[in-house]
Amino acid sequence: MNDRTTTAPPVLDVRDVTVRFAGLTALDGVSFTVTPGSVHALIGPNGAGKSTCFNVLSGLCRPAEGTVTLGETELTRLAPHRIAALGVARTFQNIVTTHGTVADNLMLGRHALTRAGFAASALRLPNARREQREHRDRAREIAELTGLGALFDSPVALLSYGDRKRVELARALCLEPRVLLLDEPVAGMNASERARTARVVGELRAELGLSIVLVEHDMGLVMRLADDVTVLDFGRRIAHGTPDEVRQDPEVLRAYLGTDATEEDAA
Amino acid sequence: MSDRLLHTLTRRRGRLLLLAAVLCLPPFYLDAFWLRIGLFSMAAAIGAVGLALLSGTAGQLSLGHAFFLAVGAYGYSWFAGDPGPGLPPALAVLLAVLLAGAAGGLFSPVAARVKGIYLGIATLALVFLGHHVLLTADSVTGGFNGRSVPPLSLGGFTFAESDPELTVIGVPFGAEERLWYLGLALFAFTWFTARGLLRSRPGRALAALRDSETAAAVMGVDVARHRSAAFVVSSMYAGLAGVLLALAFRRVVPDYFSLVLSVDYLAMIVIGGLGSVAGATAGAVFVTALPLLMTRYADQLPLVAAPGSTEGAVGPTEAARYLYGAAIVLVLLYAPDGLHGLARRAGDRVRRLRSRPPADPTDRPSSPQPTAAARPKEHTP
Repeated sequence: MNDRTTTAPPVLDVRDVTVRFAGLTALDGVSFTVTPGSVHALIGPNGAGKSTCFNVLSGLCRPAEGTVTLGETELTRLAPHRIAALGVARTFQNIVTTHGTVADNLMLGRHALTRAGFAASALRLPNARREQREHRDRAREIAELTGLGALFDSPVALLSYGDRKRVELARALCLEPRVLLLDEPVAGMNASERARTARVVGELRAELGLSIVLVEHDMGLVMRLADDVTVLDFGRRIAHGTPDEVRQDPEVLRAYLGTDATEEDAA
Repeated sequence: MSDRLLHTLTRRRGRLLLLAAVLCLPPFYLDAFWLRIGLFSMAAAIGAVGLALLSGTAGQLSLGHAFFLAVGAYGYSWFAGDPGPGLPPALAVLLAVLLAGAAGGLFSPVAARVKGIYLGIATLALVFLGHHVLLTADSVTGGFNGRSVPPLSLGGFTFAESDPELTVIGVPFGAEERLWYLGLALFAFTWFTARGLLRSRPGRALAALRDSETAAAVMGVDVARHRSAAFVVSSMYAGLAGVLLALAFRRVVPDYFSLVLSVDYLAMIVIGGLGSVAGATAGAVFVTALPLLMTRYADQLPLVAAPGSTEGAVGPTEAARYLYGAAIVLVLLYAPDGLHGLARRAGDRVRRLRSRPPADPTDRPSSPQPTAAARPKEHTP
């Protein structure tokens, strides 16, 4: 069922991507490469273009220039659901869960991996029912992995903020992704919830060998988890390297601490 | 755990069987008036379930439901009747439903791209177009006077007054009694299929589309395809409802399939509770039965004039409209999840009272009652 995770994920390559919204250039010739099986962090002050970059990667936003390729496949021309089918899953900065239980949300994550159509589901054909059962078992496994096992049948609307964040993560994992895009996975969480999510992300990389792209303001988490860091500011890439290199980069310090004339809100 | 699950399953099945048995009884005890109310309610319920799938689950508003009901009703009369190919009626039912689906499919370039309330406006056009065609295409539709509906017959058994004459345990079985069982069977089919849909992959995808198009797309749901599929499926249920209505009326006329009918269907799913099969059914019974009952008992009701009287008072049909208008306002204000939500909450309360005996204040708040207000916010990238 999840044989595509047994091979190493392909390289995710972002080349000279430019996105403009009317007069605003949200991304300006941004390039970076996510090496297979690594955790790549995208950081930068608010409004730097991190979420726009995620929207380009997941097909929600089409760049004016530049390309994104996953292995051999170019993603910039594909609709979001096709990109999902290639094994690119994401979470959102502000939680986006759907109505219903945790199980319903996780089963939505299995959508691209399942086949049952309208007719087969309406008539409850044996194939469709078997498929649903098998995938529900796998969804339950993933719920256990992310610490949602006990909440599997609870309505999402009743869960705490941290738990809902984790539902999003689990739902993305249900896609059996090869590349996982995490948009601020620990924002608004308390210390123990943060530690737990950090541990899950670490385990994922170790056990499943996924490539993970991470947008996060929690520098401690970024420095601990990331192999590579790309720093964006006003849509441009201002630095790139290992966490240690980036930490000492004068450009980064300027963008974050605002020694320049532009008083940027230090995130 | 699995023992308990099995236990609940068998109990649920037992309850369903009991319900089915009870629903089979009315033809033996009730007269034609009540059976007709039941018949119209069942037809409306089938159509309402279709609309609930589209508007409640997929979040797509449709004001064109009357059009697809008309396609089903006229489609059946034409396929089975004269003028028309005069096919075997059972085949005509199937073809009429497929025709309604095809009509929905023709509209899918619009249905796939336009979302929510904007689709409602677009479908408005369908009702007027349909009404115009019904009035002018005389040779097929019979124009203003409509056309008669050939009775359904299955393997020599006709759903009409006679042919063959039938008396069951001393009760003569006329058209209403026979059609009751047909309606029941079609409704059971609708219930079975719609619930199957809602609880599986396509249903989840549609609900995700409603809650957040972005999240659905990113999770691999083909947005356009699912939108148009929801529209086609909903049209097919409407077509089936149209066939049953036509059989119950025995005559179809264009004026019945007006915008008011579309609005009635919307009222049904709002009153019943958006997105649930049981809710749509309850709403359909309420909206269908109310005017008929008020007409019948007009002379005993205060403030309501008997039908045909010219006193200044309100006629029964109008009074029924006021009543269910008020019902909609009340539902929207106090029970946004409709009759279905009310019933569920009442059931939960009963269960909680029953299972309380030893005081257990550490009970986690696990009663599954997500309110509309608690629904997660839509993400806009």
